Amino acid sequence: MSDEYPSLLRSERMSLVQLFVPTEVAHDTVHELGELGDVQFKDLNPSVNPFQRSFVGEIRRIDDMARRTRFFDAQIEKEKDVVPVRPLYECAPLLTVGPRSAQTVDELDTTLSQYESKLTTLNESYQTLSERTRELTEARHVLRETAVFFDKAHTQTSNIRSSFDDSATPLLTSHDDREGGYSAGSFDLEFVAGTIERSRVPTFERVLWRVLRGNLYMNHTDIAEPFIDPSTNAETRKNVFIIFAHGDVVLAKIRKVAESMGATIFPIDANADKRADALREVENRLEDLQTVLYNTGIGRRSELVKIGESLRVWQDVVKKEKLIYETLNLFNYDVRRKTLIAEAWVPTRDLTKIQLALRHATEESGTSVPPILHELQTSKTPPTFHRTNKFTEGFQAIMDSYGISAYQEINPGLFAITTFPFLFAVMFGDIGHGFIILIAAVYMILREKAMAKQDNGEIIGQFFYGRYIILMMGLFSIYTGFLYNDLFSKTLHLFHSGWTFPDNSTRGVYTGHTYPFGLDPAWHGATNALVFTNSYKMKMSIVLGVIHMTFALCLQVPNHFRFKRKSDIYTNFIPQMLFLQSIFGYLVLCILYKWSVDWTKSPVSPPSLLNMLITMFLEPGKVDPEKQLYPGQGFVQMVLLGIAGVCVPWLLISKPYLAWREMHKTTGAGYVTLGNGEETAIARHSTDETLEGEEEGNGRAIAEGDEEHEGHDFGDVVIHQIIHTIEFCLGCISHTASYLRLWALSLAHAQLSEVLWSMTLDGRTDPKSIGGWIGLGIMGFMWLNLTIGILCLMEGLSAFLHALRLHWVEGNSKHFEGGGYPFAPLSFAGEGKEA
Amino acid sequence: MASLFPIFLVLAITLGLMSASFLFVRKGPNQAVIRTSLMLTFAVCYLTWMVTYLAQLHPLMVPTFSAPPAHTA
Repeated sequence: MSDEYPSLLRSERMSLVQLFVPTEVAHDTVHELGELGDVQFKDLNPSVNPFQRSFVGEIRRIDDMARRTRFFDAQIEKEKDVVPVRPLYECAPLLTVGPRSAQTVDELDTTLSQYESKLTTLNESYQTLSERTRELTEARHVLRETAVFFDKAHTQTSNIRSSFDDSATPLLTSHDDREGGYSAGSFDLEFVAGTIERSRVPTFERVLWRVLRGNLYMNHTDIAEPFIDPSTNAETRKNVFIIFAHGDVVLAKIRKVAESMGATIFPIDANADKRADALREVENRLEDLQTVLYNTGIGRRSELVKIGESLRVWQDVVKKEKLIYETLNLFNYDVRRKTLIAEAWVPTRDLTKIQLALRHATEESGTSVPPILHELQTSKTPPTFHRTNKFTEGFQAIMDSYGISAYQEINPGLFAITTFPFLFAVMFGDIGHGFIILIAAVYMILREKAMAKQDNGEIIGQFFYGRYIILMMGLFSIYTGFLYNDLFSKTLHLFHSGWTFPDNSTRGVYTGHTYPFGLDPAWHGATNALVFTNSYKMKMSIVLGVIHMTFALCLQVPNHFRFKRKSDIYTNFIPQMLFLQSIFGYLVLCILYKWSVDWTKSPVSPPSLLNMLITMFLEPGKVDPEKQLYPGQGFVQMVLLGIAGVCVPWLLISKPYLAWREMHKTTGAGYVTLGNGEETAIARHSTDETLEGEEEGNGRAIAEGDEEHEGHDFGDVVIHQIIHTIEFCLGCISHTASYLRLWALSLAHAQLSEVLWSMTLDGRTDPKSIGGWIGLGIMGFMWLNLTIGILCLMEGLSAFLHALRLHWVEGNSKHFEGGGYPFAPLSFAGEGKEA
Repeated sequence: MASLFPIFLVLAITLGLMSASFLFVRKGPNQAVIRTSLMLTFAVCYLTWMVTYLAQLHPLMVPTFSAPPAHTA
């Protein structure tokens, strides 16, 4: 069976292989297999805590390196001017295999930690310097503003003096007294000056007033520019305040209150010259700090630029190494012989490719001991692997979303390549709209390579992933558009119509010549057009639905053969097929027959098919001769009803009966069924002798197995068959009706298209004035946007969903078993995207 | 004259195309996909065309208009 040509029809054959890898070459082997992307390793240490596995130390080191690369990424993000990061395919590669690989990784580790410490110190010093700058700026403001206060106070000294007579004396010192009053400068009041947040100023004033009982004079001004906190980028606005008061106790209280309100107090000298000196010093220090800050910023940026040149390749290496060590943790470490033992699933077809890869890895690493590959016999279920290419992967993905096929089961994805776009098109049929989505698909396909490299975003990314699905949908939609004769709600007159309107009558006369391809254009605009098209589309939906279900049912048969249960063909497939055909297959034949009869030449008026079906069940065998479709109908219908009636118990009972007979045979012969055994640790050591120096493929070891054998309980079979029978029989009826959505959506689509035309461009296509031209332009623009947005996108998504549902529910329920798990090989390919 | 003959003729053509695609698609990794897709495509295209043709063969109703249509046959 291993030489059958693998295809998408069913999963590829998978083999369980055992790899014996010497420790020296282990890292390079896993690297090579990861690049290949064809091997799925099994976890041989499932009961071991992740912290107790063999390679935990290496993983910890790599995690550290990963953390550092993430730190670099964050720092680069934070830079206001964009730091260029060289993309991966332009970076110089780091060689992580071969004899010097350990050295390379060590060097990388040191480089990363060096960069990290450099960046951290630079960041810290930048932080400190910014703090200092802020303090100095505040001091400068305070100095400036207090200068203003003092100047103002000078000019007002006279006013103060005149308003306060003797009681003013305590506020002023004897200096002024001696000089007779209005002297400049020597304002010997003690004061406290500083800055405080603007929002706190009123509270501050109130508190001070209450505490000091009004024995203070406070003045404050806004600082115009806000202060920006470098770490949080938050803006704070501050005010400069100066409080004049007298007495140490009072001043101490002021200072305490100020500090509790979060104000910063600056030492200001009363002397104007000293203040000027202080201001100059502050300005100088500020300038120096600015220079240092600027240089630090430049230095930091140059470090980041250097990092940016190799960041992507570092991240790539770190990620690969982490994957490699995680995979190595899955292996079984045989300490005695210094080898690692691995078990993996590989596609049987690729065994040679993998052996070549192993040999290549040995050559790269420079050792002479190659890893050894052994095929194992196992009863465990392999993963399901469908080898897809860029065309088929979209279709396979949408069918896999319902459930992964069981191993070696018929893959519904293969047929979905045609049936899915087809059912979509039946609901979407319009030449113009089909053409639009076709162009969109072709555009994406032509720009495949470029679009695959960039990050397209979630929505466009989804459309891009399904570009081949959209291509097929477009092609089929154009075909059904020709059949429905619908081009943006207009019809095409490609051939001679089958209807004439002699003498300007409003009723058509049939010429006897049928329009050869699609719907006759004579129906366009007729008042009873919908009556005709509804009947046509509904019947077509039933015909297509029954044929789709029959096809899906027939897909059961290869599964029964492959899984060696031929009896299921007689117990399941045949009764199901007979049931379906005797009722709904008969209905389809009646539809086709009724269409093929020329009722004008028949003595009987055309009977309603729906009534016929209902009376077939309600009054079996009795058919009114005035309403019969064909002679002998009554007898035929009774036979069909009888067949359907027999099929239900046939489906219900035969399989349980066979299981019951089987069970009696085994118990009658004295056997007792074994319970599910526990995992027996097969001694791998026993296979060591057979493997020493042997070539690949010679020894066949039995893999240890969990008992996967389901106990085929008789009760289980009965219950399962009851459910299956009910589901199938009721499902037949409901699913057949469900296919009427093909009619419903195509009707909605046609009507929407017509309404859009009549509301925008109808009557405007022949503009007779400038206003007409402007109207045409605006309405045309609106028509185009609504066509793309509503009719193509919205209706398209809707039809996509319904076609998918038809495949998943109506189609898959007839044959699909599911329950498989997907083949998930170790692969470095998909890992390059996230940081 | 409207008859069932075209249906059988096109059926024969379709069956011929389906057999041709089965027999003449060259061996390769995509043989199954190409074969299945081509055969299914021919089959469904024929089915929908056949249903549309059959529905108009002996029509049970005539198109009526509110005003005489300006039609070219």
